Amino acid sequence: MRVTFQSTFKNGLYYSNNAAAQVQKRSLEVGSGLKVTKASDNPTAMAAIINEKTQMANIDSYIKAADSVESRLSVVDSVLSDIINQITVAQTNGVAGRTTVLTATQRDALATAIEGSRDTMLSAIKTKFSDAYLFSGGQSLTAPYTDGTTYYGDANVASLTISDGRTVQTTFDGGAIIGDLFDTLTTLATAVRAGNLGTVDTALATLDAGFDRVQVAQTHVGVDLSRLEEDQSRLDSLRLASDKRRAFNEEANMAESISGLKQSEAAQDAALSMLSVAGRLKLLDYLK
Amino acid sequence: VSGLFGLLGQTSNTLAAQSYGLDVTGQNLANINTAGYSRRVVTFGAVPPADSSVSAGGGVEVLYVTAIRNAIYDRRLFQELPHSGRENAIVDALSVVEASLGTSGGSIDKSLANFFDAWATLADNPTSPVARATVLSQAQALATDFNNMAARLDTSAQDTDRQIRTSVDTINSLTTQIASINAKLASVSEGGKATLKDQQTELIKQLAGLATVQVVEQNDGTVQISMEKGQALVIGENAYALGITDEPLTGKALITSGGQDITSQITAGAIGGLLNVRDTLIPSYKTQLDELAYGIVTQVNTLHDAGYTLAGVDAPNFFTPLGAAAGAASLMSVNAAVAADTTLIAAAGVAASPGDNTTATSLAALRNALTMNGGKATFADSWGKLVSGVGQDSKTAQAELTSRTEVITQIDNLRDSVSGVNLDEETANMMKFQTGYEANARFFTTVNQLLDTLMGLGA
Repeated sequence: MRVTFQSTFKNGLYYSNNAAAQVQKRSLEVGSGLKVTKASDNPTAMAAIINEKTQMANIDSYIKAADSVESRLSVVDSVLSDIINQITVAQTNGVAGRTTVLTATQRDALATAIEGSRDTMLSAIKTKFSDAYLFSGGQSLTAPYTDGTTYYGDANVASLTISDGRTVQTTFDGGAIIGDLFDTLTTLATAVRAGNLGTVDTALATLDAGFDRVQVAQTHVGVDLSRLEEDQSRLDSLRLASDKRRAFNEEANMAESISGLKQSEAAQDAALSMLSVAGRLKLLDYLK
Repeated sequence: VSGLFGLLGQTSNTLAAQSYGLDVTGQNLANINTAGYSRRVVTFGAVPPADSSVSAGGGVEVLYVTAIRNAIYDRRLFQELPHSGRENAIVDALSVVEASLGTSGGSIDKSLANFFDAWATLADNPTSPVARATVLSQAQALATDFNNMAARLDTSAQDTDRQIRTSVDTINSLTTQIASINAKLASVSEGGKATLKDQQTELIKQLAGLATVQVVEQNDGTVQISMEKGQALVIGENAYALGITDEPLTGKALITSGGQDITSQITAGAIGGLLNVRDTLIPSYKTQLDELAYGIVTQVNTLHDAGYTLAGVDAPNFFTPLGAAAGAASLMSVNAAVAADTTLIAAAGVAASPGDNTTATSLAALRNALTMNGGKATFADSWGKLVSGVGQDSKTAQAELTSRTEVITQIDNLRDSVSGVNLDEETANMMKFQTGYEANARFFTTVNQLLDTLMGLGA
């Protein structure tokens, strides 16, 4: 077969261009750390990368929600602890006032302490989180109580989704938790002040029921809080797994890329050398 | 004496023949880098004796100069070039489309994630003005991204359309040149004919890169060229131009021949590839984008419409409602009323309960809902399918182009092996003719000396 300068040159240029394209591709891999930068690099991998990035964004959203729920429930837990403490203080004062040996001044001091517990609880139940009342149910812009008798919230509590199929309650029906506690504390204080032992007994019994209600509510919050840690841990694991799958599809294997870069550089050198040699070996050179 | 004088004349002709050989070699060397040039070979013939005397012969004469070419290789190139032209056009056009889709995690997929994140944040704080403003701004960003993406696809289609128009102009220019060569072929010398044939072949190669053509070579060296389905492009000295008309509704270029629309008949060559991109691929991407936008608008509006505003009343549509999927990506926008007043954004699913977040939660959950492709795919899945589809089309075209380029390179090499100028060969020819010239010049000198000797005898 006749070999012409043109075909040798064209072939050399073709191989050199191919090698240069490989060098560019590998350089991009090494520089960016990515083996897939556009869909045509690997369409299947690109679909998987988009899917994993969407999953990670989804998980990030869940992680953010879980963090928010944790903060919110910690506040709720703290408020309920305060209320339980105040009920306990009121019970102690109520029991102390359930006797005929106290002076009027002593009874008045106990009654005032019980009223103080009531006011502290009233203040606690009006706690806000991110400018929204936690214990007003769906009426989060309205304080659940103002005077301790009327509940201004509703029973429509909100929940947040913190992972697929898992929701956690984030607002609470203050009316259901508090019930008649404020009225009971007012009654108890009045009875202690008046030395009305029968009413004190009745009020203490009602207070016990209220204590149980608040404790049950706090237990639910505690359970949610403890499960949140598991949820957050699971979300972290899911995110890591998703990121690993993304990296498998998207990120370059540096050892392979650098090795490939060296190989393609060698191929480009060889193609250019071939062109150079083909240009040198001419009969004309031997006829000088 | 008359014999010696005859030899002088005969040698003079021989020197001219060797000189002509050098001339041909020079022509070959001069055109070593001329595309489509076929090397010339000079053929000498011995001149027989003038009569039946004892003469050895009449020396040498140039019989003819041949342009060396193999028509099979040219025909194979004419057949292959439309395919590589098509794939090359698709690769070029799709590389622009692919770039306009953006990077993974940095395009519409990111806007979608931000949009649903904003709803999740609103679900966390249903009454927060900041969360509401974030929902609005992310929705506007999403709508703008869809608008821009649709515009970029439209621009790609328009660019492709412009390329089609330019390519048709190029075809018309090429056919005019080929017809002109046909006209000249009838009146030029053999040497001139070879040059015109080289030019003719190059022009047909360019033509074949633009569209599939049928080439019929006539005995006189002229060619008749027609489109794949027989519409004439060149007959003899006449070129028949392709026309362009604008499609009434879309303004797209329609290719005509003799007033007939032949657009759908052109499937190969650069024009075939560009038509495929303009009329099939880009519209298919646009349809997918529209369906995605329509799905988002419809699903979000359905849920939002069932919710309640911060004031506790029925919520309006979140996005401006769309009548159909067609054009949805271009038309997607946030309802002007909602954009003007973020309290109209529905987070609550219960009337007069501003702290309720069921609607916001449902809207945030749309991210994972199988709402597309007949309930089989999420919005992000649909976007991924669109992006990977473009990538697959581009990759397929690239693979096909690589394969076609290999074939063309091989055919080109074969053609070069027959028609190409070999520098060593031409150098050898140069020496051959130089040596031949020198030997004959020496012979001329010898004859001249013999004549001198003969003339000296009488002195």
